[in-house]
Amino acid sequence: MMSIIRGIIILQFVCFCFASETTKAVSLKTGSQLAILEFEGWAISQPLTEFLTEEFRETVRDLKIFQVQDRGITNKFKIFKPRKRDYWSCWSEECALDLGRKLGVNYVLAGNIQKKGDDEFLIKGRLFSVDMETILNEFAMNSSGITDSLLLEMKKMAYNVSGLPVPDTLSVGSDLSQVATSEDIKQKRQWIQLPPIPSKIKALMMSTALPGSGQIWAEKKYPGYGFMGTEATLGTAALIAYLQYDKAWGGFEKTYSDYQKGSDPHELIELRPKIIQYAADTRKYNAFMKNIRSVGLSIWAVNMVHAYLVAPSDDFFDGEYFFDLEYKTDVNQVQFNVNF
Amino acid sequence: MSIFNLLRVRIPVLVLCSFIFFTCDDATYDLDNPNDPENMDLEPPALFFHPSEIDTKLDSSFSMQLYGLKLKPAAAAHLDIRYEYGSVQIDSVVADTFFQSLNDPFQIVDDDSSGTLDYFIYLLPDTVAEMNEGGTWSLATVYFTAISTGGSELLFGENTKLRDANNDSVAVKSFGSGFINVE
Repeated sequence: MMSIIRGIIILQFVCFCFASETTKAVSLKTGSQLAILEFEGWAISQPLTEFLTEEFRETVRDLKIFQVQDRGITNKFKIFKPRKRDYWSCWSEECALDLGRKLGVNYVLAGNIQKKGDDEFLIKGRLFSVDMETILNEFAMNSSGITDSLLLEMKKMAYNVSGLPVPDTLSVGSDLSQVATSEDIKQKRQWIQLPPIPSKIKALMMSTALPGSGQIWAEKKYPGYGFMGTEATLGTAALIAYLQYDKAWGGFEKTYSDYQKGSDPHELIELRPKIIQYAADTRKYNAFMKNIRSVGLSIWAVNMVHAYLVAPSDDFFDGEYFFDLEYKTDVNQVQFNVNF
Repeated sequence: MSIFNLLRVRIPVLVLCSFIFFTCDDATYDLDNPNDPENMDLEPPALFFHPSEIDTKLDSSFSMQLYGLKLKPAAAAHLDIRYEYGSVQIDSVVADTFFQSLNDPFQIVDDDSSGTLDYFIYLLPDTVAEMNEGGTWSLATVYFTAISTGGSELLFGENTKLRDANNDSVAVKSFGSGFINVE
């Protein structure tokens, strides 16, 4: 009896000692199937984003950490969730996990490439675990220069995604001048350290400061120039009206002053209709300016809302941390969502 | 394109847009000058004294204009002026612009020194016109001297009349009065 009890105790002790390793073995069985969604290009051409995405897939595949799903299968998500091209398709956790389940993979990588300036690009990526239903990692890389530099940064990002150190060959192969420029940009930004502004808010602020500029920034050039041109035209009309008003006001002030100081009935009786005419002119042009102001401010407000709506939704606006104003085509309604 | 680039490139547009916010004050006025004939309760065409009131000192000289308000074209006038004898004395009468043409007007002054001044004035035709165009003008200026203190009134008498080049009467609907206060 004692030997049986002793045997049970020893068995329990052995199980306790190997318990952690057993758990680790289970986690390793989550698989390594990775679907890399096509990167969303913003202000860069679709063939270029397709090419860069495929190069990225190839690099991750070559690193043999993940089993990268074939492009043809991954791109089926367009059938599942067709969206307009100018919106980043699947950047939120909910969307990525949903796609990951439908594609039958363990991991999903979504990303986008933004053109920030004339020669500056920002590459952003998110790695989602479908099994753990969470974001595993987030990547952001700056690239300044030509397409080769962009390709290099994509390869570096592939190493980061795979959890491997970036080899020196990639760094050596890069254009040093471009790297220096990129470093300069990083150093400058370290001085400012502004919090990231959501794209919609940025577009809204830009269009608030200058009508149409938010739309132009969001690559909606025709509406942008339309708003800008309309407001500029109204502004020109207001300027002309103001100059006319100013002229009439000057005449009014002079004639009224002469009238008040004058003593000759002949002059006074001639000044009287001029004063009335100048005053009527000032009222007319002032009323015109007030009307322009009403119309201009209305268009300005519409322009601000429009800039907000057409600006791309980024990670601050996908319903996770912030608020979102979104037009739902399926229910034909504009919905305002707030999340904390 | 960054916001700074946008602003830098489109500053003229921004300046233009800023004019949208421009509005100004409406002109307000009071046409209450007492010398304005419109404020004298006269029905044109009319004759009145300008200024209608004068404050002066004893033995000092002053002048008053005999003014026409929106008169029709005329060629001659007989102005019958009544003043207070012993209060003021008429020194002279000078024709003004109403009957002025290329030629100086012809005038007759008949002051009987008893409070009535008859003043006749004729426009002498020239090559341009034989009568004036009418309007609001001074017909003549009368120069006075104050000879005693107190207030006295100036009036247009019943013989006052205007004629055109055809010797037809020119209507005058109302007459103003004047007041002289001597201290």
